[in-house]
Amino acid sequence: MTPSSSVDVAVVGGGVSGAACAYFLAKAGMKVALVERGDLAAGCSGGCDGNIMAQDHQPGYDTNLTIQSNRIYQQILPELDWDIEYTQKGSILVIETPEELDFMLDRMKQQLACGLPVRFVDQDELYEQEPLLAPGFLGAIECASDASCMPIQVAVALARAARRLGAEIRTYEEVKSIKRDEQGRIAGLVTDRGEIRTPRLVNCCGAWAPFLGKMVGLDIPIIPRRGQLVVVEQTAQVGHRKISEAHYVVAKFHPELTEGTDSETLKYGVAFVFEPTASGNMLLGSSREFAGYDTRTTYPVIRAIIRRAVRFIPALAQLHCIRTYAGLRPYTPDHLPIISAVEEVPGFYIAAGHEGDGIGVAPLTGQLITQIILGQETTVDVTPLRWSRFARGAGRQAG
Amino acid sequence: MSCGNKGDTVICRCEEVTRQEILEALADGARDLRGVRIRTRAGMGLCQGKTCERLVRQIIAEQTGVNPAELRPATKRPPVRPLEIGLLGRDDDDSVK
Repeated sequence: MTPSSSVDVAVVGGGVSGAACAYFLAKAGMKVALVERGDLAAGCSGGCDGNIMAQDHQPGYDTNLTIQSNRIYQQILPELDWDIEYTQKGSILVIETPEELDFMLDRMKQQLACGLPVRFVDQDELYEQEPLLAPGFLGAIECASDASCMPIQVAVALARAARRLGAEIRTYEEVKSIKRDEQGRIAGLVTDRGEIRTPRLVNCCGAWAPFLGKMVGLDIPIIPRRGQLVVVEQTAQVGHRKISEAHYVVAKFHPELTEGTDSETLKYGVAFVFEPTASGNMLLGSSREFAGYDTRTTYPVIRAIIRRAVRFIPALAQLHCIRTYAGLRPYTPDHLPIISAVEEVPGFYIAAGHEGDGIGVAPLTGQLITQIILGQETTVDVTPLRWSRFARGAGRQAG
Repeated sequence: MSCGNKGDTVICRCEEVTRQEILEALADGARDLRGVRIRTRAGMGLCQGKTCERLVRQIIAEQTGVNPAELRPATKRPPVRPLEIGLLGRDDDDSVK
């Protein structure tokens, strides 16, 4: 099949965000080309875990993004012909100290107010559910709606669905430059395989979004943040669903409560995350470091992740690690993605910068970009996601 | 899914991936070992492709016409072989920074 030389919209980037944008745009009747320099999920989406998790977010706007997106996951599942390993077993945040307990119970009220199905699981029930947890935890907060999926399969499944709706999935094709007309509007792309005429372009390049931005003179403040993970062999499950530590959430808002945490854990941003996968393996995380575009795993960080995990589930020590991997989380200074038109470059759109939420928020991202492009009412208020908050250095501060 | 005609031959034993599934992955756009791995799980099991990688490479080569030696190798990640987690997390080498 000869690729088209002209489309309504070009989506650049074949991760979960790009595939979701291509899918929703094609579904809305637009002629779409998804252009990806490698294979699908070759960047950020290929090096993460599959969290569709709302309970670790700040109650309010952030939480609602995942709630809405999780709903869309469930709506589109029947339209996919490829298994994305979606499971909704809920998640628990394990509580260790009375200070954490107070904080988490208070936070739970705010979460309930935004419609999140959370509840307190007391000590007895916690150990009934998760008997291999180390002794001494006070309880947990459970969020029944939290879900998991396999991110790479999400990208493949959405790209396949987009293709069935008429989108062209052009992998192994790299964008070299962007063409604009006399008014500065997007006019097309030049790739290593030819030229595509298009009045619209969606930048879904994740941690690489700044490179595409530079082609039109934009300084996109997305920085790659490395996260490392450990894959545990397939075995009888030692934990039944996603288990993380409440400490991590508490530490975000009350850094003084991190006293006593070992320096290695703090230095690499390590927080205990346990995730059983559909394949029967388990993933252990997590870490956060600024290390440029280096996606290697490093022993000190892996060791810190493992020590933290064994502290919560001692039985893990007897199992085997079969692989370690790392990926890049596209970090923005205020921890929210950019899902927006770019006013100064008409026809240029950005859907990137989700840091650790790209998988969870992917379907909503695709839906929002489609609504923004078509001028429709958006599923959620997109004001906090607008590009203009970063344009020319405006409002850049850590959140 | 075809049976017989070698399609049901298991190529990746750890994850029980058949030749037919690898052919489907190639039809879906996979071009190299990673492309096959992410679509089928071939090479994602306990041995991390030590057993099947050569066979998968051969199938990709025969289907795409690329010289097997020119195929991009699969990403190698530590550990080289499954390692006990207790051992990996042990506390005896604080010289490591």
